[in-house]
Amino acid sequence: MATLHLHSFSPFTDTRLASGLRILSSGDGVLLCGDAVYALQPGCAIREQLVELTSTCEVIALAEDLESRGIDSLPATIRSIDYAQFVEACARYDRTNTWL
Amino acid sequence: MKSMLIISRQSPWSGPTAREALDIALAGGAFDIPMAILFMDDGVFQLCAGQHAATLQQKDLTANLQALSLFGIDDLYVAQSSLAARAVQPVETLSVKRVSDSEIATLINRYDHTITL
Amino acid sequence: MKFAITVFSPPYSPSSRRALRFCEAALAGSHEIVRLFFYQDGVYNASGAIVTSQDETNLGHEWTRFIESNSLDAVVCIAAALKRGVLDETEARRYQRPGDGVVNVPWALSGLGQLHEAAQQADRFIAFGGS
Repeated sequence: MATLHLHSFSPFTDTRLASGLRILSSGDGVLLCGDAVYALQPGCAIREQLVELTSTCEVIALAEDLESRGIDSLPATIRSIDYAQFVEACARYDRTNTWL
Repeated sequence: MKSMLIISRQSPWSGPTAREALDIALAGGAFDIPMAILFMDDGVFQLCAGQHAATLQQKDLTANLQALSLFGIDDLYVAQSSLAARAVQPVETLSVKRVSDSEIATLINRYDHTITL
Repeated sequence: MKFAITVFSPPYSPSSRRALRFCEAALAGSHEIVRLFFYQDGVYNASGAIVTSQDETNLGHEWTRFIESNSLDAVVCIAAALKRGVLDETEARRYQRPGDGVVNVPWALSGLGQLHEAAQQADRFIAFGGS
């Protein structure tokens, strides 16, 4: 019974992602879109934290938001997804939790 | 019936979000839908005593909180870590269960639907 | 799979566009959208009064076209809409506000119960909002 958490706020100006990462169960997923993809900016501490997380949770990011922001190198364990895969991920988990 | 957990993380004074989160819960309660609310982050400020809504020409949100049990919503939770970080206590008249971060992780996975406002 | 979609952000926010693209992909993947529910500032998506410059996308219009061409149920929370001046003809008349209202078919003003009804029918309840 796993949850896919949807994040869209930048981790540098907002606490949503930090709060969300504190309450994950093993097997849950984290989907980054909008400014939340800035968490994958190469060289940042939060990016390293997300890489560590991938040992127990899936981390995925919306391709168009990565591309628009010029973030083109992802860690090997973090996948970039299109909208069809976004839909597929929502169907694959038991529920989604959007951090509005 | 499918259950729903609402995670409320805005202070009552930051705009309509806190009230509109409660409205979702009350509407669900009116339809006998199993609802639960978790207060975390600045949402825990909704539970504090000594607030004076009239100062800001606002309606008192605590009245809505007291109405929750009338709508059959008794599953109220508050994040212990959020209380501790802000050094606040919930008012004693509200029956709210304190939960740790790892308990929250388990709690979310017990409901059919979840939303964080 | 059946999706209930709620939109919490206005048409000029990236997340409203993201919600629309998600819905298009869901239908393209042979999923069903049981209802679209617009809450908080999401009610502005239903406003026919929004004017965008010629080189900008009018997302409200895109939503309207999407809803019509797929015969979807698009509900706007009436309490959130009244508070934000997003009225239909009936409400404009009821509250004696100027004009004939800005919400027209295929959009419908209704209560929060519609959100719960959709969630009850759906396998997944997905919200879009924020940035």
